[in-house]
Amino acid sequence: MTIATPAIIATDLHKKYGTLNALERVSFTVDNGSIFGLLGPNGAGKTTTIKILTGLTKSSSGSAIILGHDIIRDTIQAKKRIGVVPESSNIYEEMTAEQNLIFAAELYAVSGQKRRKRAWELLETFGLAERGRDLVAGFSRGMKRRLTIACGIIHEPDVLFLDEPTTGLDVQSALVLREQVRKLNKEGTTVLLTTHYLEEADQLCDTVAMINKGKIVALDSPEKLKASVIGSNIVDVIFSEPVDEEELCRSCGMIEAHRLGDKLRLTVGSDVDVVGELTDYARARGLRISTINTLKPSLEDAFLRITGLNPEEAGRDKEPARMRRQDG
Amino acid sequence: MTLGEDLSKAFYIARKDMRVYYFKAPNFTYGLLMPVALYLAFSVSGTLSPATLISGLVSLVILFGSMSIEAVSVVLEKQTGTFERLLAAPISLLGLVLGKALAGFAIGPLTAIVVLIPVSLFSGTSVLNPIAVFVAICVSSFTFASLGIFVSCFARWTPEAQMYSNFFRFPMAFLSGTFIPVESMPQFLQLFSKVLPLTYSIDALREGLNNSFVTGSFLFDLGILTLFSAGFMLASAKVLERQLS
Repeated sequence: MTIATPAIIATDLHKKYGTLNALERVSFTVDNGSIFGLLGPNGAGKTTTIKILTGLTKSSSGSAIILGHDIIRDTIQAKKRIGVVPESSNIYEEMTAEQNLIFAAELYAVSGQKRRKRAWELLETFGLAERGRDLVAGFSRGMKRRLTIACGIIHEPDVLFLDEPTTGLDVQSALVLREQVRKLNKEGTTVLLTTHYLEEADQLCDTVAMINKGKIVALDSPEKLKASVIGSNIVDVIFSEPVDEEELCRSCGMIEAHRLGDKLRLTVGSDVDVVGELTDYARARGLRISTINTLKPSLEDAFLRITGLNPEEAGRDKEPARMRRQDG
Repeated sequence: MTLGEDLSKAFYIARKDMRVYYFKAPNFTYGLLMPVALYLAFSVSGTLSPATLISGLVSLVILFGSMSIEAVSVVLEKQTGTFERLLAAPISLLGLVLGKALAGFAIGPLTAIVVLIPVSLFSGTSVLNPIAVFVAICVSSFTFASLGIFVSCFARWTPEAQMYSNFFRFPMAFLSGTFIPVESMPQFLQLFSKVLPLTYSIDALREGLNNSFVTGSFLFDLGILTLFSAGFMLASAKVLERQLS
């Protein structure tokens, strides 16, 4: 029996910027052909990790092996087999979309005949064919993002690094992109993506590493991470009048309460009769319960529980629409 | 990675730079207008021979032209994030630096010839060895393009790059024998002029303008310019490598 070499092996990666430890002993392995997600709030160390793995910065200590090539000692061989899509679009606005793609292909030594063919295939795929000969300067943000991603995969890399791929994209573009990621993965490309959209990681990733303050705090499949918060119930409740969260927690024996807009999200032990407790609490204070809703634990709940962050610290306030959860 | 692969990628980077950066305003203002203005200011005195003035003017055009495009291209790429795309590509840092230098190298002969032909005709100066002059122009262009990359590797935005460039350009413009013969300068300035690449560029051009044969001095000048180029390129690659850490 042959054991497949992992696509990425990160061992004890450490990165210091002055006195700041941006990464501390980060280790993980990404299986060939899988989609791996690095999840964390802004500034957690996701981009630093990607930069180290793609040779754009050097770790202070530790090692990174990409498809058997050490990214420090065997940089060029490793870079030949990877595609990198950074967080911000990095295309030349003074060139056309086609010229950008062909230049990207040239940098990765794609053969002369294949360059143009592949460029137009990608322009079609990403809905840019009609603007292929236009200067990128006139493109919308979403179009530039799609072109950046197309440039990152024109050489059909074995491993693709996507840094916050859907940040700033409209819903339609984000859907197209996720579909493309799934398609590439189906065709054999290993994908490592960073995101702070937990739903995106839940939908795409086989394995997720949760990173906070430069440290990996959890590493498992999304399902197993979600299962880790089972044993408690999540309840959304709206009272007729505002209530004090701390007092509610104390009175009803709840684990925690967060205010989300006009509702309170409560985490309650599974042994607690939550409906009874809330009803008693409301009656004692002359309040009415407008809405009560029990929910399945999501990756977001797992993330908040594991990192100990509140939703605002985790960046939830920035993209509320993207942080929806499944109602149960 | 083979040398051929690195060279072909360097060529693609240079071609892209020509497409993207050749028509930026600083290339015209600094590359042509500034040296021509300096030339006019000094030529009115009428104390310098046409060959001295022409070699000085052409060298200045190359210096300003080749350095300006590099300062613009590297810094703008850093600002827009496209430099990261080049750094992520499978090309050595030396290959990347070479690609950048080739774009600046290519603009030098274009601007130099645009200036050399009308000025020679206007002043009635004959070019005795056009091939030697062309070779001197090409080698000088590469040296100044490499210097441009070296200084711009340190810069984070365009004005900073231009400030660093001027730190090198203006002392060279006045201390390399462009308008004042080196021999007439004080001893310590004559010694200082020996470490300035523009001194060798002017000297090589003057040799080509004045002699119909290739002199030892001409070859010596080209050798020194080549050493300067290699030094600037290696230093630029080293600076980039340190920045990655």
